[in-house]
Amino acid sequence: MSDGLPVPAPGGATAPSSLAWQRVHPVTPLVKGWLVLVVVVLGLLRSTAEQGDGDGARFALHHLAWVLLGIAAIVVVAGTYSWLAWRVTAYAIDPDAVHMRSGILFKQHRKARLDRIQAIEVRQPLAARIFGLAEVKVEVAGGDGSGVSIGYLTERTAQELRADLLARAAGLGAPSSGGKQAVAAPADGTDAKHAPDAVTSAAGPGPAPTLHATEAPEQPLFEVPSGRLVASTFLTVEAWVLVLVVAGAVVAAAAARTPAVLFSFVPVLIGLGSALFGRFNRSFAFRAATSPDGIRLRHGLTETRAQTIPPGRVQAVELVQPFLWRRFGWWRVHVNVAGYGREANAKGPTTVLLPVGSRAEATTALWLVLPDLGTADPLALLGEALDGSGPSDAFTAAPRRSRWLDPVGWRRNGYAVTARAVLARSGRVRRRLVVVPHERTQSLGLEQGPLQRRLGLASFVLHSTPGSVHPEVPHLDARDARVLLDEQSVRAREARSQDLSERWLQPPGARA
Amino acid sequence: MTDDAPAVRAPGDPFDPPGLEWSRVSGKLVTARLVPSLTTVGLLAVVGAVVALATGAAWVWVFPTFFVLLALWLLWLVPRQVHAIGYAERADDLLIRKGIMFRTLVVVPYGRMQYLDVQRGPLTRALGLASLQLHTASAGTDASIDGLPAEVAERLRDQLAARGEARLAGL
Repeated sequence: MSDGLPVPAPGGATAPSSLAWQRVHPVTPLVKGWLVLVVVVLGLLRSTAEQGDGDGARFALHHLAWVLLGIAAIVVVAGTYSWLAWRVTAYAIDPDAVHMRSGILFKQHRKARLDRIQAIEVRQPLAARIFGLAEVKVEVAGGDGSGVSIGYLTERTAQELRADLLARAAGLGAPSSGGKQAVAAPADGTDAKHAPDAVTSAAGPGPAPTLHATEAPEQPLFEVPSGRLVASTFLTVEAWVLVLVVAGAVVAAAAARTPAVLFSFVPVLIGLGSALFGRFNRSFAFRAATSPDGIRLRHGLTETRAQTIPPGRVQAVELVQPFLWRRFGWWRVHVNVAGYGREANAKGPTTVLLPVGSRAEATTALWLVLPDLGTADPLALLGEALDGSGPSDAFTAAPRRSRWLDPVGWRRNGYAVTARAVLARSGRVRRRLVVVPHERTQSLGLEQGPLQRRLGLASFVLHSTPGSVHPEVPHLDARDARVLLDEQSVRAREARSQDLSERWLQPPGARA
Repeated sequence: MTDDAPAVRAPGDPFDPPGLEWSRVSGKLVTARLVPSLTTVGLLAVVGAVVALATGAAWVWVFPTFFVLLALWLLWLVPRQVHAIGYAERADDLLIRKGIMFRTLVVVPYGRMQYLDVQRGPLTRALGLASLQLHTASAGTDASIDGLPAEVAERLRDQLAARGEARLAGL
């Protein structure tokens, strides 16, 4: 059906014809577009009902037939379009990459290299859960929206696809262990290029020619009890603002002696409430585990997600303790993963490694990312990094004169360097620690404003991939900052040259 | 030594370490930056003067005077800004420094460069200039060098790309 349109092969040099294309599940358009459909239908019905107000129900009834006909027409058109779109939406896996093609008029063929996979997520929005479907999102390091979303698939296919992708990305080639149906599996990954060219496009969502890798065994590490999650949600600034707004609305309504005033507060309440609920919804039933494939995270109330972040993919870690959490000793842990970007919208990936947890759990989360902190006594160092202030053996702190620029938190500002990572400590009210492994440093910078210059201070910045973590050490002594910049560029270079995290399970000798 | 001692400026300047040879950008960049900004400011000054003459009110002369002062300030500032831009090629990374009041220094390792852009606008092309921008996987890396002579930009791009190729690491 694509014959009529001169579509340039977007893959360029790749030969997509030799790939075994698999279709996604036929229910996909319904799951993706149900909300639009509902809105259109409701909108039409409502406008009919409003028209009926004046001339009575007879008028509305007369028009109802036309409205129903209109809805039917929309359903037919949308259905045909969706069916056509579904026909051209397909995915395929070859030894080096995962391919996804879609689009009727504007065709897209996206190829994500397996050795560049940064994370894999199995996402199940509420509508998809009803049908037992799931979407597999493969994040590669290309900035926001560069990943490949394969969906929707049946839950089982999605799990198998994830395991298969991870096994291939890990450098295991075509896994032979699962092998209950070696459909298109060559004996080893090296000549999978000569896999059967059978384009199983007519097979529908049936058994995919994936290799059915057995899922790597995992070891649970921590989970977040819902009670603590609720408590921590209420112990945030947003929650207090919400309470204040509600109180203000009630007082205003009482003063004006009319409940109508309450309605003017509705937008604010909805905004704040949805932000809070969104955070709660995502972090609900948060569980973390470790496996040879990397970090496994499962969470979500209405929409469940299962994230897998392979080893060495985390670019930076941040441990934060908001002021209200201090007496409970809770911490939140965020990570930067290339391709994740900022946590911009509800559909975007979650950058949280631990929504709320004890200090021990936060330390475990850090250990997940960086098993070896590169120091003899990691616990002592972390203790100093989380609660400590001022200079010490490990930490170089900001000088006393920086109190002019940061009167509250200047004692906490400082850094420590271990054999594996930089630890940047800051914040007295809201305590913060950022850890960046040496081999994940992108570029480095120094910044100095006019006041800093007078005081002989400079801020040191580590540029990490886009995300919620921004590693920097503010207001250091200018000479310290300079020394750190020079030494860190050497350390980063050395660490990079020994970094072997791509194809992480492949023996080093087998690397190209 | 007390911690509060005033900063020693010259010897310990973190933005000008010894043993580094800084390359400066072309002085023509002053023209390239001044022409558009002075044109705008000059037009606004003319408009202000016309309005002042038309109305005849003395206080309206505040506006053209302001724009003339702004133009003088730009004439003083931009050459200094351009002079403050510098870059240095080291064995494994490129250093770029900028700014007078708010100074920044960026170190970009060659192995971290994802791609390089050479950009030329109509005015910069007429002056034989080009700007080179380095991109890493981080959006925070603000590594661009404006006002390179075109052939230097091309040479630098090829040279940096070759070095990046040799040292390319994963993310």
